[in-house]
Amino acid sequence: MYQYIARRLLLTVPVVFGVAVIVFSIVRFLPGDPARAIAGVQATPEFIQQVRIRYALDEPLHVQFGLYLRGLARGDLGQSTFTRRPVTTEIAERFPRTLLLASISLAFATVLGVGAGIVSATRRNSLFDNASMFIALVGVAAPVFWLALMLQLLFAVQLRLLPATGMGSWRHLVLPAVTLGSASAALMARITRSSMLEVLRLDFITTARAKGLTERVVIYKHALKNALIPVVTVLGLQFGILLGGAVLTETVFAWPGVGRLLVDAILRRDYPVVQGTVMLLALLFVLINLVVDIVYAFLDPRIHYQGGSEE
Amino acid sequence: MRTTHTRGLMTVVAIGLTVLFLFLMGCPSETAEETEVRDTLTIAIGAEPESLDPVNMTSAPAATVGEHVIERLIYMEEDGSLVPMLAESWSANDDSTVWTFNIRQGVQFHDGEPLNAEAVAVNLRRFVDPEVGAAYAFLLGSVQEITAVSEYELELRLAQPFAPILSHLSHSFIGIVSPAQLEGLGPNDAIEIPVGTGPYVMDAWNRGESITMSVNADYYGNTPQIENLVFNFIPEASARIVALETGEADAIMAVPPQDASRLDSDPNIDVVYQTSVRTIYISFNNVREPFTDRRVRLAMNHAIDKQAIVDGLFGGNAFVADAPVVDAVFGHVSVGPYEYNPDLARELLAEAGFEDGLDITIHHPTGRYPLDATVAEAVQDMLADVGVNATLETREWSSYLSFTAQPPELAEYDTFLLGWGTVTLDSDYGLFALLHTQQWNPNGNNRGFYSNERVDELLSAARVETDPSAREVMYAEAIELIWDDAPWIFLYNEGQINAVRSNVGGLIHHPLENLSAWDAFFID
Repeated sequence: MYQYIARRLLLTVPVVFGVAVIVFSIVRFLPGDPARAIAGVQATPEFIQQVRIRYALDEPLHVQFGLYLRGLARGDLGQSTFTRRPVTTEIAERFPRTLLLASISLAFATVLGVGAGIVSATRRNSLFDNASMFIALVGVAAPVFWLALMLQLLFAVQLRLLPATGMGSWRHLVLPAVTLGSASAALMARITRSSMLEVLRLDFITTARAKGLTERVVIYKHALKNALIPVVTVLGLQFGILLGGAVLTETVFAWPGVGRLLVDAILRRDYPVVQGTVMLLALLFVLINLVVDIVYAFLDPRIHYQGGSEE
Repeated sequence: MRTTHTRGLMTVVAIGLTVLFLFLMGCPSETAEETEVRDTLTIAIGAEPESLDPVNMTSAPAATVGEHVIERLIYMEEDGSLVPMLAESWSANDDSTVWTFNIRQGVQFHDGEPLNAEAVAVNLRRFVDPEVGAAYAFLLGSVQEITAVSEYELELRLAQPFAPILSHLSHSFIGIVSPAQLEGLGPNDAIEIPVGTGPYVMDAWNRGESITMSVNADYYGNTPQIENLVFNFIPEASARIVALETGEADAIMAVPPQDASRLDSDPNIDVVYQTSVRTIYISFNNVREPFTDRRVRLAMNHAIDKQAIVDGLFGGNAFVADAPVVDAVFGHVSVGPYEYNPDLARELLAEAGFEDGLDITIHHPTGRYPLDATVAEAVQDMLADVGVNATLETREWSSYLSFTAQPPELAEYDTFLLGWGTVTLDSDYGLFALLHTQQWNPNGNNRGFYSNERVDELLSAARVETDPSAREVMYAEAIELIWDDAPWIFLYNEGQINAVRSNVGGLIHHPLENLSAWDAFFID
């Protein structure tokens, strides 16, 4: 197990390097002169030249890449061309907020999704099942920005129960978390339901019932634990998606997280910030995947990671 | 058995929902808050300032927020007139190369440091330091030497006379911060929370969220009536509107034109229309055939129904350009617009030898200016009507900037759409930078290679002439000549729309896209 973890960690190094190369290239190989974009349409030629030197844009590409890697190795992601603050500071300020939003969204999605999935599976084809699966379908399909605006209209403008935008109290968190989590909740409900149904059909469930166990024990102790394996995979990946996917939600709700930082940076052609943010999100995704795989092993003792030697 | 456990689950859900509901009911609603004494004004803006360090500021939101905290020597009012701020008076020597400013006495920075000539000098020297690399250092490009000649006398020596120096000094970015704050700062270091002399003291910058300030009780001018000021950053226009409707914000900036009339019908909300300083045009490549022929350029000006663009696309919140600079700019005279007359356009084209039509390309950005691509399409349609087949080509912004920055022998464009904001509100910045022959690519921003000897003469002379009325005469002649030469298709000036809750008065909506709250008050 530890060997497996070590190997996986080692494998992330080339992945991260690959991401660094891609991120660096995407930004550099865009057509146009970044110095001009940074300096703006009304800039004087002197100022454009100053910008070029300041951000080493006058250096050949391999030198720029070298500088970039050297910075990365030292944890220095450069300076934002827009705010002129260190990129690490910009990200460090915003990342906890995205983490908070994504965590709450995930908690919301898990409770609602897994709950609805279990009930649907145990009461298959009931009104609850059909209704919740229909809502889940809508939830998966509804565009985030549309859902966000509808929630704002209903809860902020009409009912005046919750603030429409910003950050501050827990009340500010409700609408963005629901918006961000709803697609995940819907997905999880559907996956829990189908996974549950599959498990409930297996022989050991029949055995358990035949032993005279209560339905509660059958469902929660025997069926659920087995049905949760695919759910955990989805849960882990969803967390990665929520972290990166908060872009739209954060923009609509003026939630000052990393997603909004990224969008703003792209619009302003703030290359160091784009690089840094994408780098971070990619890293997180890699790490979360790793964690998911490890959690897997705990949930299902049949899974081994030694190339099937014990199978 | 199955039903008992699902019933249990449903009970849990029901209890959960009840708790949530009680929670929500227990929270004070917005209306309850409004009955308290109002001492906080909240303004929602679309973009967060990039920085409030004068040397790093580049945007209107930065100017709007910064103005409340840091002040400059001279203030420019909405009508363009220059009034004393931190300089009480100023004078120039005979050839206007040495300017003396008398600094206001008895003024303290928010940290208690006294304001004097040396404090101003330190700030201005930092602003022009090439090591620091301020984006707007060009505003003081003519300044050679900055000296505090006495406690309250500041002297600026210019390389040659430069008349717009006063309006340049009034620019929001040339703010003066406490010298104590600048001590020990390296060329790459930036101030996070500026300590100025303004009517408000900045308390906190919650990155990505808001900036809060409170009133400066020791302000030398009229102390503001409203105790606290909050600028919230809400990037999404629809969310900004919701914030205004719910009262979370007392005023919002940058209302999309399509929402303005709906907001205006709300009795609790006032919509404010104001001009901006940016004019949008399509420049010809004036050294490329057939645009070297004035008749072709005139024809295309007559072919465009500018009013239809303004009314149809902008719902009236834009203004047909009647000169190469907007009305609010010093030196502006109204010389246009070119009459919409397709018949005349066809005639002119026929005279120029294009009775069978003409193929051209219009380059335009997409999403850089409001509706830029849509405007280009409208122009394409109108040109088709007079026999000009325009192909539209768009590029990503940074590539667009490079593409239109080529020297004349490499410039591969017929025409291009761009905007220019005359942020100094002086014609010099609006005309010299864009239309003087010296400024041809790659030396400046004359991307259309317009050249007229007399215009060059006038623009150069108006730079050094210090008598404002003489300058006005020069600009009037230059603007008339430029208009006559038609180096651009003159289109429209952008407007700005803000919206304010009706119980707020005294906000200043400036053409420079600043919203100022130091005179604001609540109406009860």
